[in-house]
Amino acid sequence: MPLPAYLTVSAIMFTIGALGVLIRRNPLIIFMSIELMLNAVNLSFVAFSTFLDSADGQMFVFLVLTVAAAEVVVGLALIVSIFRTRRNIDVDDMNVLRG
Amino acid sequence: MTAVQISFFVLAVASTASAIGVIAFRNAVYSALSLILTFLFLALFYLQLGAMFIAVVQILIYAGAIMVLFLFVVTMLAPSQTSEGVNDRIPWQRFVGIVLALVLVGALSYLLFFNGNLATGVVAQGGSLSQAVANPQLGNVEAFGQALFHGFLFPFEVTSLLIVVAILGALVFGRRA
Repeated sequence: MPLPAYLTVSAIMFTIGALGVLIRRNPLIIFMSIELMLNAVNLSFVAFSTFLDSADGQMFVFLVLTVAAAEVVVGLALIVSIFRTRRNIDVDDMNVLRG
Repeated sequence: MTAVQISFFVLAVASTASAIGVIAFRNAVYSALSLILTFLFLALFYLQLGAMFIAVVQILIYAGAIMVLFLFVVTMLAPSQTSEGVNDRIPWQRFVGIVLALVLVGALSYLLFFNGNLATGVVAQGGSLSQAVANPQLGNVEAFGQALFHGFLFPFEVTSLLIVVAILGALVFGRRA
């Protein structure tokens, strides 16, 4: 398959992830949509790595994977600590600075 | 239609459907399971592209570790399933979101199909850090390891610092106030 085919799939998945961040109010689903966007970009990286015959793309996928794992750890800990004090994790209700 | 083309179309449709399932399900556990399915389809994409190591690492780390963390938190928080969409603060939010998403995918596809001199076959020039890769097969573990430990050694070591910081962050947020 030519390169633009893989890039189109990557663009569509990225858009679906961005739509999820815009529309959903559950922060866990928003987080999952962010992971979906990161994976769409990973697909672009690997496609370019194959078609440009360079290992750089796969190296970046490795680094993106590591950063995504660290981000998930910290983000989920944050969501859990918010839940502990508020018992409610609707992002539309998080509109005051006072914790 | 060769086998590669058929498998590509099947994988493209399946991964798009499961990605839509992530954002469409009301139940957060179903969304998490859809995301795991998306990761598995992406791993098959990576196999088709010849990146074997990345495909296996994708399953191990994303589907095997990150999504397990997600499912822990999703089942612990047990969000109510029907609270969303019942009292939307902005009633036209969903429609505007879909319109903006269509604009985004249109803009990206335009750049792909009408502006493209993509992948002209030029090998990455002198700034590439992976010059030391002797093995032309990029996907197998030996070539990946050579590129990682010859060209990308410093970023690899910095990721260990990143992981330590993430652990510290989780510990700080996990303390009882």
